[in-house]
Amino acid sequence: MASSSSYHTVAASGTSTVVPRSQGSSWASIVSGQPSRPRISSTASTGLRNQRNGSHANLSDLGSQSGRYYNTAFSNSHNAQSKLLRLPVSLPSYLEDSLYAEKLDAVRDLSWGSAIPSRTSSYTSVGLQAAQSRGTGLKLDVKDTVPSPDDDLPTPLPTKWNDRDRSDGIEVSQDGLNVQFSVTGPSKVNEYDSASVRADYFIPRSCGVYYFEVAIMNKSREGLISIGFCGADVHLNRLPGWEPNSWGYHGDDGKSFCCSGMGKAYGPQFNSKDVIGCGINFRTHTAFFTRNGQMLGTAFRDIPNDRTLFPAVGMKKPGEHIRVNFGQEEFSFDIDGYMKAERKMALQEISDSQVESLCPPLDEASLIQSLISSYLQHDGFVETAKAFAQDLQAEQNALSSDGKSKPLELMEDENAIHRQNIRSAILEGDIDQALELTRKYYPDVLSLNEQINFRIRCRKFIEMMRQSAETTNGRKKAPSTSKRRAFDAYGDEEDEDVDMDGDAQSDMDVDEPAPVAVPDFDMLGKVLEYGRQLQEDFKDKPELQEEMEQVFSLFAYSDPMTSPMAHLLSEEGRGPVAEALNSAILVSLGKSSKAPLERLVQQTTVLLRELGEEGGPASFVNIHHWIHNLDFLPNS
Amino acid sequence: MSATVSAPAGVTPSSRDWEKKVDDVRPSKADMNIIVMNYLIIGGYPSAAMKFAQEAGLESQMDLSSIEKRNQICTSIHHGDIKTAIERINDFEPELLEMHPGLHFALLRLQLIELIRRSMEDNDIVPALTFAQEYLAPRAPQYPEFLRDLEHTMALLCFPPNQLSTPLKKLLDPDMRKQVATMVNQTILASQEVSPEAKIGRLVKLRAWVEAKAAQSDSERLRSIPHMDLGLVSPKGEFPEPTD
Repeated sequence: MASSSSYHTVAASGTSTVVPRSQGSSWASIVSGQPSRPRISSTASTGLRNQRNGSHANLSDLGSQSGRYYNTAFSNSHNAQSKLLRLPVSLPSYLEDSLYAEKLDAVRDLSWGSAIPSRTSSYTSVGLQAAQSRGTGLKLDVKDTVPSPDDDLPTPLPTKWNDRDRSDGIEVSQDGLNVQFSVTGPSKVNEYDSASVRADYFIPRSCGVYYFEVAIMNKSREGLISIGFCGADVHLNRLPGWEPNSWGYHGDDGKSFCCSGMGKAYGPQFNSKDVIGCGINFRTHTAFFTRNGQMLGTAFRDIPNDRTLFPAVGMKKPGEHIRVNFGQEEFSFDIDGYMKAERKMALQEISDSQVESLCPPLDEASLIQSLISSYLQHDGFVETAKAFAQDLQAEQNALSSDGKSKPLELMEDENAIHRQNIRSAILEGDIDQALELTRKYYPDVLSLNEQINFRIRCRKFIEMMRQSAETTNGRKKAPSTSKRRAFDAYGDEEDEDVDMDGDAQSDMDVDEPAPVAVPDFDMLGKVLEYGRQLQEDFKDKPELQEEMEQVFSLFAYSDPMTSPMAHLLSEEGRGPVAEALNSAILVSLGKSSKAPLERLVQQTTVLLRELGEEGGPASFVNIHHWIHNLDFLPNS
Repeated sequence: MSATVSAPAGVTPSSRDWEKKVDDVRPSKADMNIIVMNYLIIGGYPSAAMKFAQEAGLESQMDLSSIEKRNQICTSIHHGDIKTAIERINDFEPELLEMHPGLHFALLRLQLIELIRRSMEDNDIVPALTFAQEYLAPRAPQYPEFLRDLEHTMALLCFPPNQLSTPLKKLLDPDMRKQVATMVNQTILASQEVSPEAKIGRLVKLRAWVEAKAAQSDSERLRSIPHMDLGLVSPKGEFPEPTD
């Protein structure tokens, strides 16, 4: 891999570089919502930084870096693959809290499934531990994943200059980062013409702020270089800024040009080795430039918000050569700090907003109390709901000591109690009880919701396997009372026979049947019988067969609890089953399957996304960070 | 000449489209539970917090006894028993009042208000006057707003209870206790380096903000977003009329 050209050869994005799967998992941590992140925080950018600090000669290195920067690791995704391939793997650190980053995460979650922990499921850190945050072993959440519609895919970020979107007289290096004015081009450029090039992708407004830097590698005597941005159809034989729909900062006279041949005095002229930064702020509709890390101030105002804009450079004289940094390297300007100030402004605005209009006549405190108590009711946290109502009532009584006590409504709802009983039965592993209660109070729910019926029956099978495995091994006395209740029929008398010493496990490995297993044949038989029935009942449902086989594979192991399929037996799998049934019951009662608190989160997510799409202040706000991570900001 | 953004302009989604978008968002249950738990802790509802930790299978790393102490302090204030509240605060966080003179003054003023309330019933203004002279008057000159608040409060004594102006009536409203209790709760939380604002409070603000922003937007599409109902209903099917 020797370099013969003056530019480095880099594999085209997403085609030839194969990134091992393990590599892929590292980018989950890149943008996972860690409160403290390094400035550039990925393996990819470490590599890229090495490139900057070290030699430029190692081609194989460059190839793999580029491969990591563009995501080649999406090869296992099934949908919109080519589009996904172009999405960045790592983001410049200033974009990590943007709406753009959030959208990117969402796509990753879908395409990776459970292969990696996503940001959205891993932020359970805040002084609280969510026991249920981990998903179930069973991959039954078909209903819970909604494929992202194609138009929700984020557009890729600019990554290089587009060799197919340039004028004659300009030469783009193979890595797409360097641009030179060409003296030897096939068509000699007219003396009055200049040569420009656009980046490969337009700037997504959901970034909120977009920033890139251009290093002046070499300049002609005049230094006629323009750095800026323009629309997709602007003529490229003029410098950015001179044409309508284009904006540029010119190095020969230091003027800024806004869609016209008349410039305005703006900043210094360019020198060789200068690094000129260009930033567009979609909140304020302004653009600014920086020079060698120093802010030069606002250059343009009223940039229209209905255009797609591409980073662009242009030059006019032989010898001119620039190199772009689209975020693959560290920036010389503190764009992170700029972004932080922008975000702070947006967050301050949110903190100051009034909530009285949301749900009149409720004021903020009462609205929140209603949201909390309706959530508790809705999701069947009966005991908590009661305690909370009592707390509120006590507060109310205390406040109106003058006798004008306004009794609070206690939301006694017998459906809530039924739902809670069903829920706790499932959480305790007593599926029979849950089924019985459901059939008694909500007779139609199971027949109308086959998927949920199937999930519950599978869970019952799993609980039987659990019970069987636990009795066989004599290990792990049931941690909750539930197991005993669940298997009253055949569980109890086994206990003493099975109460054995630590030899149990080694016995299990021996080929001849372990003596302890004998009393369990009866039980295993029952499990088997139940399994057959399950198969019989759902045999004409092809979409469920895979899950069923997975569950049945538990039979293959003498000790399922230590088998590769042990995750299926985890108690954590009960939560999602309980949630699914609860939602189905609520729908059957004609209630929303979502509590108002959840509606609030859903609506906020949608509105935030829509607003951020326009590049307004909302693109600086990430709802997950807003809810969770702000705790770590010291009184900002 | 200009290229338009990929989203087709001029096509405004119907309210059904918006509903679908909303339904397609899947908030995580674990998140919801964390938001609720956080509120119960921050708001100081110890028994509900304990029950919720059990029912939702959450572990709280926050010390339950601390929630309980905050709850007791706030309850004393709600009851109008400011003396006990101050004692409890001093037991729990001995330096808190010294470090927050504004909070201390607010508590003492509330205590004065409670004394005045009693004096109206007993027709004896001596205890209230003595208290004001002994505890509030020496502090008032420190800050101009203390002085103003004190004068305002003392005006309560000058009018018969049935002829009070609205701002003066407000001082006697139970809401006053609630405000001071909230102040105390938040100051204690902040002194323990816990964010005094519950996550749900921030969430509700964010919700209000995005709606307001959409309504003010330049974009026709955003302005056309219908008001989204939270689906909050009281058990009787609707909200009680605003109470007088």
